[in-house]
Amino acid sequence: MSDQTDPLGQFSNALAARADAAKGTVVAIRLAHERHVTGMLWQSGIVVTSEQALPRKDEFELVAPGGSILKANIAGRDSSTNVAILKTAEQIAAPAIAAGEARTGAMALAIGADGAGGVSARLGLVNLAGPEWHSSRGGLIDRRIVLDVRLAHREEGGPVFDADGALLGTSTFGPRGQVIVIPTATIARVVPLLLKDGRIARGWLGVALQAVAVPDALRESAGQSSGLMVMSVVENGPAAQAGILAGDIILSVDGTAAHRFRKMARHFGADSIGRKAELRLIRSGAVMTVQATIAERQAA
Amino acid sequence: MTQAAIRLTPRERLRVAVHAVDAPRRAALGRVVAEAGHIVVGTPDAADVVLADRECPPGETRALVLLGGADDEAPGVLPREANASQIDAAIRAVAAGLIVRLPGLKEAGFGALRETDAHALLTPRELEVLAALAEGMTNKAIARRLDISLHTVKFHVESVFRKLGARTRTEAVAKASERRRHETITL
Repeated sequence: MSDQTDPLGQFSNALAARADAAKGTVVAIRLAHERHVTGMLWQSGIVVTSEQALPRKDEFELVAPGGSILKANIAGRDSSTNVAILKTAEQIAAPAIAAGEARTGAMALAIGADGAGGVSARLGLVNLAGPEWHSSRGGLIDRRIVLDVRLAHREEGGPVFDADGALLGTSTFGPRGQVIVIPTATIARVVPLLLKDGRIARGWLGVALQAVAVPDALRESAGQSSGLMVMSVVENGPAAQAGILAGDIILSVDGTAAHRFRKMARHFGADSIGRKAELRLIRSGAVMTVQATIAERQAA
Repeated sequence: MTQAAIRLTPRERLRVAVHAVDAPRRAALGRVVAEAGHIVVGTPDAADVVLADRECPPGETRALVLLGGADDEAPGVLPREANASQIDAAIRAVAAGLIVRLPGLKEAGFGALRETDAHALLTPRELEVLAALAEGMTNKAIARRLDISLHTVKFHVESVFRKLGARTRTEAVAKASERRRHETITL
């Protein structure tokens, strides 16, 4: 059984050792009806988890490594990057974390909390490692990382390690039950902002937009072939106050073409709040310019 | 086919064990099960199907319908607010060895912003034509509403079909609404 030359045995032992070592990295975040999700100890007293998995309340009970029960409060949540952080009432040590780089085809070990102070483990491959992407909620995620592991709901939010034991990020569910990773780089970027303000401030105009093709007759004067059509305007929002109407087609914001939302998203970061933005748009067959003052987006 | 049809009992009575921590909820689910023509039995008794609220009883190995739970492995998973006929159908299906899921239950999750390729974007006029198609209007009616020629309407409808990859009006309306649902951004 303990044949040290059998590669499969060595592989298995190495994995079991990794899972054992991961015990100090996770907590169970208790939900109602004896359910829980997993949180990862990010820094001393700070737990990171999947925002979408957490009910909207402020206080949670955690099961720490070893099984002791701790109280924790929500210290911040951002649905756009799916990161939430909890602050524990008592200090709890966090292990040292080394950031790993996801590579397609590389091994990934996903760790969950078992709810009693221990861990559960899942092994798979990085099914896909791609470039940065934008979530449907408007957040920038530093890498696209899809795993080929299955995950129980109670394991969501736990750390995902590579073969070197470096942290790829935390696990979460994408569409259709796909298991994806919120990269370490994204967490490292978002946590300090959440610790400071409890949220990620974002600019807001108060419109719903859909990409449209600019009609042929207007392409020349518009100077582009697509834009974002205003589908609805929030009453008394910044866009409404600037006189923007449903049906207007936004061509550019401060000179950046509104072909694609991805490019425009940069114009609506925290620093945009209170700024005047110049919007070039098509209304009733003519190109015109409107100024709107960007406000702060309220939590959804 | 014929053999299966002959064997099928129209309203088979199944023994259903109801598991819910909350007593009023347990009673309510018991009523739903009884009104659907099944026999409610105690949790430890012999049962064809277990109907569990939110969580699976530990060690349960019988056919299970879970309401609002998070266990992916239960054969039947319905939302907690599932109606009586859905619960009845799920109990029967699970007893027959089938798996029950609500469409779209797994659709949710943290996903990417989707954006249509530039060449497949609709023009404002095409969106108007599409809105009319969604109301079931004929080409003639659309021509009248938008004050354009029948020929132009046909041209727009064809372009809409091509851009959406649709073959029928119904399909075009469905695909456009799908696109709107996934691609509308709030700013």
